[in-house]
Amino acid sequence: MNEVKLTQLGIKDSRDLLNKKEISATELTNAYIQNIEESSKLNAFIEKTFDKALMQASKADKIIGTDSQKSLCGIPLGIKDLFCCKNVKTQAASDILENFIPPYESTVTQKLWNEQAIMLGKLNMDEFAMGSSNETSTYGPVINPWKSTGSHDSLTPGGSSGGSSAAVAANLCTGATGTDTGGSIRQPASFTGTVGLKPTYGRCSRWGIIAFASSFDQAGPITKNVTDSAIMLKAMSGFDPLDSTSAKIDVPDYEQELGKDIKGLRVGLAKEYSLQNGDSEANRKLQEAIKILKNMGAEIVEVSLPHTEFALPTYYVLAPAEASSNLARYDGVRYGHRAKLDTNDSILELYEKTRSEGFGTEVKRRILIGTYVLSSGYYDAYYKRAQKVRSLIKNDFDEVFKKVDIILTPTTPTSAFPLGSKGTQDPVEMYMNDIFTVPANLAGLPALSLPVGLDELGLPLGVQLIGNNWQEPLLLNTAFNLENTLAFENNPKKWWA
Amino acid sequence: MEIDTETVLKIARLSRIKINEGESADIQKDLNRIVEFVKKLGEIDIDEIDEFNFGKTNIEDMRKDSVTIYDNTDDILKNTKNKNQDFFTVPKIVE
Repeated sequence: MNEVKLTQLGIKDSRDLLNKKEISATELTNAYIQNIEESSKLNAFIEKTFDKALMQASKADKIIGTDSQKSLCGIPLGIKDLFCCKNVKTQAASDILENFIPPYESTVTQKLWNEQAIMLGKLNMDEFAMGSSNETSTYGPVINPWKSTGSHDSLTPGGSSGGSSAAVAANLCTGATGTDTGGSIRQPASFTGTVGLKPTYGRCSRWGIIAFASSFDQAGPITKNVTDSAIMLKAMSGFDPLDSTSAKIDVPDYEQELGKDIKGLRVGLAKEYSLQNGDSEANRKLQEAIKILKNMGAEIVEVSLPHTEFALPTYYVLAPAEASSNLARYDGVRYGHRAKLDTNDSILELYEKTRSEGFGTEVKRRILIGTYVLSSGYYDAYYKRAQKVRSLIKNDFDEVFKKVDIILTPTTPTSAFPLGSKGTQDPVEMYMNDIFTVPANLAGLPALSLPVGLDELGLPLGVQLIGNNWQEPLLLNTAFNLENTLAFENNPKKWWA
Repeated sequence: MEIDTETVLKIARLSRIKINEGESADIQKDLNRIVEFVKKLGEIDIDEIDEFNFGKTNIEDMRKDSVTIYDNTDDILKNTKNKNQDFFTVPKIVE
């Protein structure tokens, strides 16, 4: 099989060929290494672990076909730079973690290696996962493999998991890990024609994932298709004694759930999630998805989530508040960047200069606003109030899930936008990108973005499916049914090699 | 504007982030923009509403409070040049 085709396969198809011994893990890994070497213009991989990958591949080749073989044996993956990987440079795309080499492995990545997956390297992202366009990374932005028809403009692959989404779309890995605090898996997936799944809060352990906002952060897969998402999610999920917020709930075999009839499924359409331009290709694609579901016997139900308009303001109080606390640990004392000090500088100057030099503009902004809303005199007006509004948003979902099984929405207000075009004068302009994705994080619910087609500009569009807690099997099966009918092909023109 | 220059400097100090004079005005403008945005939360009556939580943590799901030996000090110290024997070094904090 020639190498271009080999890397177009996803996880399931690669697994099937490996199992039939039609290809070897080494051959597959080498094909991805070649693609990565040719993709520097995309700026997706920021740390390459090819020696490790080839050793893992060689080991996998010996295991395939034996009783020792696990679910991801010989499958090459990319890992978002937010996951600590033992002895592999991990910086969360921030200068403050300059040359940090974790002495431990995150639980989620350890689970992937336990399933015998292969690690190709670390993927670019927004600094500390704070951003929606990948432009806050210290490594510079990732470039979306997709371009508007007839245009050479560089577009964002979304953020914060932009390296993950671009790498999967450009065939640099079979699948990738992402994390999602306010949409950081789903928005990049929508912008790159890939499948992104944010699981229920507590489905995946957060241990060893560099913390941003601990009551929101969840790991999840970005993949080429729904089946791959199911396979990868199973490997990533499960209770972890090292994370008391991970749930002691059995992990289903998500792949086995796919292909079931969805007749009678109640699909909610929320009026608060409508696109501004009704006469757009984005809206037509959404309507097409609704029609497909109807044709399959699903019942479409109009619903309302009345507090949706408060979701973004709630998020932009609570997430920075949690971030300001989580990022307090970066003090320059034990690891990462330490500022050069003047002779008489005290430890306070060590902290202040290190943090000033090490954090980027957006991260500083969020630490400062988080500190403000938690500070004496403002705590009740902002933080406490936002926690109460978060309850109202969760209650909205609880009420709606009494009437429907799943909610269908657009993933993003628009398709991918040009780098440098948003948020330069007004940070809130960038925050608005997460308008449809943030509510699921506030409520802790699972949500998936599925590509539905291209818009007028020739760019991918996604729809979002939101489910009730632990309903990942239903999300994946509904998405699988839609995917089969939509037959979206993720094939951006290869301009980067 | 809710956040004045003095407040910017106060929260920067609380955050342990040094802000130079050149940055201060831009930061103040951005923070006020965000505050203006989140002020929308003031429109809701929340008197009777409980603060959000994910529910109680099951005590039996938590790790036992037991002693474990963690002996990879060398690996941890590899991440800094500022060390002396098994300790991190910092500017003098005791006169």
